[in-house]
Amino acid sequence: MAGTIVSVFVAAALGALLAAPAAAQQRDGDVACKNCHANREFLVGKGGSVMPDSVLFVPDSVLHDSKHAGLSCTSCHPAFASGYPHRVTAAFAVPCQSCHEKEGQDWARSIHAPDAVTRGNAPTCATCHGTHHVLGADDPRSRTYPLNVAALCGSCHADPRIIGTYFGAADQAQARTAVSSYYKTIHGTAMTKAGLVVSATCSDCHGAHLILPPDSARSTINRANIATTCGQCHAGVLQTFDQSSHGQALRTGAKTPTGHSAPVCIDCHTSHEIVPASDPAWFRGVVRECGACHEKEYGTYFETYHGQVTELGFGITAKCSDCHTAHDMLPATDPKSSVYPTNLVKTCAQCHPTANENFVRYQPHGDMHDREAFPLLFWTWLLMTTLLVSVFVFFGAHTLLWLGRIIIDRTRGGSTHPSDEKEEHP
Amino acid sequence: MKKPMAVSDQGQGPYITRFGPVERTTHALIIVSFLGLVATGIPLRFAYAGWAAPFMRALGGPASAAFIHRICAAITFGYFFIHLVTIIRNLIRAEDKKTIFWGPRSMVPQPKDIRDVIGMFKWFLGRGPHPRFDRYSYMEKFDYWAVFWGVAIIGGSGLLLWFPAFFARFLPGWMFNVATIIHGDEALLALGFIFTIHFFNVHLRPEKFPIDLVIFTGRAKAEYFEEEHPLEYERNQREGRLASLEAPAPSAATYLWSMGLGFAALAVGVFLVLLVLYALVS
Repeated sequence: MAGTIVSVFVAAALGALLAAPAAAQQRDGDVACKNCHANREFLVGKGGSVMPDSVLFVPDSVLHDSKHAGLSCTSCHPAFASGYPHRVTAAFAVPCQSCHEKEGQDWARSIHAPDAVTRGNAPTCATCHGTHHVLGADDPRSRTYPLNVAALCGSCHADPRIIGTYFGAADQAQARTAVSSYYKTIHGTAMTKAGLVVSATCSDCHGAHLILPPDSARSTINRANIATTCGQCHAGVLQTFDQSSHGQALRTGAKTPTGHSAPVCIDCHTSHEIVPASDPAWFRGVVRECGACHEKEYGTYFETYHGQVTELGFGITAKCSDCHTAHDMLPATDPKSSVYPTNLVKTCAQCHPTANENFVRYQPHGDMHDREAFPLLFWTWLLMTTLLVSVFVFFGAHTLLWLGRIIIDRTRGGSTHPSDEKEEHP
Repeated sequence: MKKPMAVSDQGQGPYITRFGPVERTTHALIIVSFLGLVATGIPLRFAYAGWAAPFMRALGGPASAAFIHRICAAITFGYFFIHLVTIIRNLIRAEDKKTIFWGPRSMVPQPKDIRDVIGMFKWFLGRGPHPRFDRYSYMEKFDYWAVFWGVAIIGGSGLLLWFPAFFARFLPGWMFNVATIIHGDEALLALGFIFTIHFFNVHLRPEKFPIDLVIFTGRAKAEYFEEEHPLEYERNQREGRLASLEAPAPSAATYLWSMGLGFAALAVGVFLVLLVLYALVS
């Protein structure tokens, strides 16, 4: 690689010396640059091979097609403004941030910057945006066009060598599969199958330049910022979520007695496994997620037909969100809540159209073990349990003793027949 | 001669009729409907067990299971109704109506049944003779009343859960919670009892293994009848009824469906109760 570059430079120098008159060498500006860099002959290597793809070959057709069509060479290559021969120094670097100030600052603070500088294999501007053929993110040919972003990020993040080097730790399992699993999500399939460019791609959630790990407070994927991040697109959901018990708790930082903080979007929807809400495997997971904090309700739910059918993996009965709503959940004491007493008929009628005042007195979280809250269920349960235990203890003993009698009689060679007994005990 | 497989076909003497066509048909309907009810009910009750989800999928899902459950429930209500009609018919026809509800040939528990229970436990412990049973032993009476009570309780609570909209017109919703507890626990009692205790008492204990076909064919050899129900046998003998109760050996067809249904029910029942036991201990 280094040899090739050197040979290109040598060829370039020779070509320039032979082709260009001395006066032209002193001229500043694009014309002088183009004398060499727009000339394909200039790129003929030692072995006679032409290298049209080299960044050193910059014909007008490339530059004029790019976002930078109006710029002169020295706008981006100020170190070469003094003309030829070029001094190869550190100032070689293209100072994109002199125009793209914010993007430059954001990148410099991002997780990509330190590695780009120290190890050299994290992306810089050119990695994603290209060099002379810079295209806008709205240009379908651009690597940063929404349809192409996942492939762009995946060029590193789906590369086994990069994954092995950077994401080997046990807690980085998600980072290892992020890109491949993205393609299976509703966001990924909407993008790649439905061709929907408004669907979310990597940069929509992670940012394009200020990409930060989730433990960073400024990260778009920090727990505190997740709702806002998803809310960029799901604005209506964000509005209702903000007003819900969970949204309120998130703002105040309130925690449950067991130390759980309020759930954010990804707790139920995940980040890289997002699927439609109709997916049976997913809704079972959501119910489990609700149960992580609402333990008692989780337990009692599975004692009802609703819960049993859900447990079996069928989505046809009520799950948490069918009664409590998905994003607008409020305590039963709040008149706006779907489970506020006067709203119950409407809520239950979603599935049970004939539900009336009597019907909604059903206890979907009735706990037969809770004597204080549900005395009737408790006594019913106790009565039934007593009945079951009595019958099984009595007949269990009856059966086992009988079996014992038979075994004893048979080992003694006797008979257990009642008719034989009859002879002995008329 | 090869010894017959079913204990009710073994021993000396002619066949004696013990159960009539209505009783035999009722028992067959109980078997079919009860196995169907249990098979479609336990995947819900034990939804947490590993086998429950594949079992439910094999049944065609909850909607299909509910349909089968209700077909079997309809059969259950059907035989229950037929039985009530039979009792009324017998009551009208009986010369001495009292004997249906009281006495040695009645299904109603008698003081002798309590003495027999005590007698059996004494016999188990080697402290007395085997009690001599009449027409129905206390175990058979328990089986009968367990089904009678079970159909009323499980059926009643099941109807509540089947037609919640109708019952919510006049019952508060928490009745569905109560009905769910009763339905599930009583069903657990029924299946646990039938598939272990009843199976042992009637079919699987060593003297009877592998099967007693008397409820299927309706008849048993005289020797066997006398062993099982000596007081009833002796009464029939004494009152000269034995000859009229004599029956031909079961036809090949009767024998075949009796064996088929009997063994299938035993196998399915044992399989289902093992699933339940697995769920209970896991």
